[in-house]
Amino acid sequence: MSLSKSQARNKPAEVPAGPAPAWRQHVLVGLLVLGFVALGLRAFELQVRDRDFLLAEGERRHVRTLLEPGGRGAVRDRHGAPLALSAPVESIWVVPSALLAEPAYIAPLANLLEMQRGELQAELEKRRGRQFYYLKRQLPPSEARRILDLDAPGVFSQREYRRYYPAGEVTAQLVGLCNIDGVGQEGLERGFDSLLAGSPGQRLVIQDRLGRVVDDLDEFRASRPGQDVDLSIDLRLQHYAYGELKAAVSAHNAKGGVILVADVQTGEILALATQPGFNPNNRNSLGENRAAWRNRAALDQFEPGSTVKPLMLAAALQNNIIDASEQIDTGNGWIKVGRLQVRDHRGYGQIGLTELLAKSSNVGAVKVGMLMGADRLFDAYRAFGFGYSTASGFPGEVAGQLTSPYEWGDVGTATASYGYGMSVTALQLAQAYMVLAADGVRRTLSLVKGGSQFEDERIISAEVAAQVREMLTAVVQPGGTGTRAAVPGYRVAGKTGTVRKAEGGGYAEDRHQSLFVGMLPADQPRLLSLVVIDEPRSGVYYGGLVAAPVFSRVASSAARLLQIAPVEGDHSIARVAVGDSHS
Amino acid sequence: MNLRLNLAPLGFRPADLDRGLLWPLGLLMALGLVMVASSSVAVAERYTGESFHFLYKQLVFMGIGLAAAGLLLSIPLAIWERSSFVLLAAALLVLAVVLFPGIGHEVNGARRWLNLGFVQLQASEPARLALFMYLSAYAVRRASELRSSWTGLAKPLLPLGAAVMLLLLEPDFGASAVLMAVSFMMLFMAGARLRDLAVVGVLALGAFGALMVAAPYRVERLLTFRDPWAHAFDGGFQLTQSLIAIGRGEWFGVGLGNSVQKLLYLPETHTDFIFAIFAEEFGLLGVVGLLVLLGLILRASMRIASASAEQGLLFGSYLAYAIGFWVVLQALLNIGVNMGVLPTKGLPLPFVSYGGSSMVMSCAAMGLMLRVALETARKEAGR
Repeated sequence: MSLSKSQARNKPAEVPAGPAPAWRQHVLVGLLVLGFVALGLRAFELQVRDRDFLLAEGERRHVRTLLEPGGRGAVRDRHGAPLALSAPVESIWVVPSALLAEPAYIAPLANLLEMQRGELQAELEKRRGRQFYYLKRQLPPSEARRILDLDAPGVFSQREYRRYYPAGEVTAQLVGLCNIDGVGQEGLERGFDSLLAGSPGQRLVIQDRLGRVVDDLDEFRASRPGQDVDLSIDLRLQHYAYGELKAAVSAHNAKGGVILVADVQTGEILALATQPGFNPNNRNSLGENRAAWRNRAALDQFEPGSTVKPLMLAAALQNNIIDASEQIDTGNGWIKVGRLQVRDHRGYGQIGLTELLAKSSNVGAVKVGMLMGADRLFDAYRAFGFGYSTASGFPGEVAGQLTSPYEWGDVGTATASYGYGMSVTALQLAQAYMVLAADGVRRTLSLVKGGSQFEDERIISAEVAAQVREMLTAVVQPGGTGTRAAVPGYRVAGKTGTVRKAEGGGYAEDRHQSLFVGMLPADQPRLLSLVVIDEPRSGVYYGGLVAAPVFSRVASSAARLLQIAPVEGDHSIARVAVGDSHS
Repeated sequence: MNLRLNLAPLGFRPADLDRGLLWPLGLLMALGLVMVASSSVAVAERYTGESFHFLYKQLVFMGIGLAAAGLLLSIPLAIWERSSFVLLAAALLVLAVVLFPGIGHEVNGARRWLNLGFVQLQASEPARLALFMYLSAYAVRRASELRSSWTGLAKPLLPLGAAVMLLLLEPDFGASAVLMAVSFMMLFMAGARLRDLAVVGVLALGAFGALMVAAPYRVERLLTFRDPWAHAFDGGFQLTQSLIAIGRGEWFGVGLGNSVQKLLYLPETHTDFIFAIFAEEFGLLGVVGLLVLLGLILRASMRIASASAEQGLLFGSYLAYAIGFWVVLQALLNIGVNMGVLPTKGLPLPFVSYGGSSMVMSCAAMGLMLRVALETARKEAGR
């Protein structure tokens, strides 16, 4: 200190007074200007050169696309009763690292999730690096609320929809199933998926480090709920039909069955149920019973047997090969065509067409079939819709099989006359009978309320259709094969079928398909119904004994529902179960 | 331009004020208000429910600041020059007192604020201005000693060093570095010898280096700023968010109010990192404009300071140099921190960042600078 003072005193002349030289300011300003330039260049680097990287980093960090499910449309019956509907549920998800950072929350959370504390801890540790992990999916909103009320860090809820099927097994194979993400997998859920599925909304959001949504960005697409689909099904009738089918399948210890009821005036299917059933609401046990998912009405084919006889006769009448008063000689009940021997239960002798149908004479059918010939027979079946799927809209519906007539020969023509050597689905068979019911026009069956979009198409004349219906009333009258199909108060036209199932190139002795297809009132049919019982194993297997009673009960119930006026003074009510013949 | 009213009772007329300083300053302050409003909307909405909460408070601070500037404009510089020891004592007292719990208010582990009951005052802000006044007075009083010996430089550095130590105890590394650097620049302008400054500078840098090594969190922060992307989810979080904000601005910005990063994403959006939001909303064009404004303020400060020196008003000249260097240097450091070229330090952007102490004392400092210009002009005019 003293030294410096002496220095200062010693060299006073060297010290300039007044302002410092200008270069000092220039140096400092120059340095600051360098700073300005450096910052300007750095700004250019960040905002122009590296901007793509920075923009991408920004989006990667905090812009998240939230998919908001559009609610899936409901499937409803014709009166609006829900058959499939989506209820909002909450799925709890977590940012594992955020929750692990606050261990105090893990125990109460585990408690609500019905897990052990250590178990949850381990699950979170395993996924520490992830930003999204479902803790529990599809919880009822009230339970989710209790979890969210913990206010645990990094725990969030995502709105989802769960599919419920209020009618359960009654409509299970018809309505079908969705997977857990709400995409239709089976049945009409699959068939109408594009209608039912909503389009998910997209929200671009800013999230903070814990994944909380801080703000919405401008980009936003609202979710659009799917459309509801109103089926032609009448749930009350469906319930009843399913119950009757189930009872019959159970009573006859059968392998399965199909029942279909359709409104003749519109082509709408009012009930379509199959057995065996399953409960579509019980997701856990769904996999065990996959075979039951199949809708047998659309996907299973069988030989139609005797049920084709009225169709063939209608075609023969239409083509003037025979006329309504034609007498067919069935002799003593058998006929040989090539190597094929065709039998009736007994010899009916000279019979009219009505009796041919009432007794379901194979010999008579073969005689008419041989008169028609392969080509015309083929054309007739084709016209009734065999070999084509019915356009009912059921996904995966099969078309059945009808081989080319050039391969038939005499034997093929003969067997085709009584319904073997070809196969159809229940839907196809019902569709063919619809022509008889609808005064000769093909009216497309529809599963959707309001009927099919396809126009009616004339197949046979109204007179021929009425003639055949009149003949078919004899089937349910005493002496016919289907007396048990009678419905009190109504004139029923229908046909039984008892089909031996094909087995290893031949036909099984003990495995049958029991059929009944009919309509009422016979003069001007309002409803059509088809019953198939697959492999009854109770000892009886004739369509007239197994399928016909189901038809009777269901058709009677349907007639009441449709408010079809009963015929005054009809006495068929009292005369039941005196039929002497089967098949 | 903000003072177009009759200020005659205060001893000056608005027409006498330095236009070259006033208009870039006015623009900067207006820009600051706009940016405080824009950058704080989301934070304010979230925490106060009132979108313009911070804008209203900042307007009040600016009013107080303008009143303080007017007051300083009307006080002759000689009064400050004469009371330099009182100012030094007051500065050290304030910096010491703030360290005591109960008096100093702690935020985020740093005790920097004096609780005055109705308002929090950041102790370093008034202390800095007082220290500049003390140093300017010293450099005038001991001019020949300062210009001829190392002791002449060392003597004022003792109280300055004490102030820096107190700041480091808060801790406020950024403010102490700025105070140190600006003091050196001012003493350099006052004629301190280069070699003495170099020696003291090396010693000071050594001391800072030792402090950094002693406090590992500083080293860590330093490393973080070198590669923020490697620490994007811990230490480098704020910086990466800042860089992302700046990058999003591109050439012309996303537009006023359209910043995404300000939506609670970038912490301290309306205070220390307001530049990043400005750069996001106004782009490179806006950044260059801001740098030009700062450059104009630097140019005006240098002009005022050198003109004052030429008139022999050395106290005013040194004070003007100190204030000019301080505003510009702190702005550059703040922008440098925002852009990741400097370690992340909590320094406000003068006249722009939200904050009462910074706003009021920055305005007061500019009031002093204008007073220097006023006295220089009067002397030139022979009044």
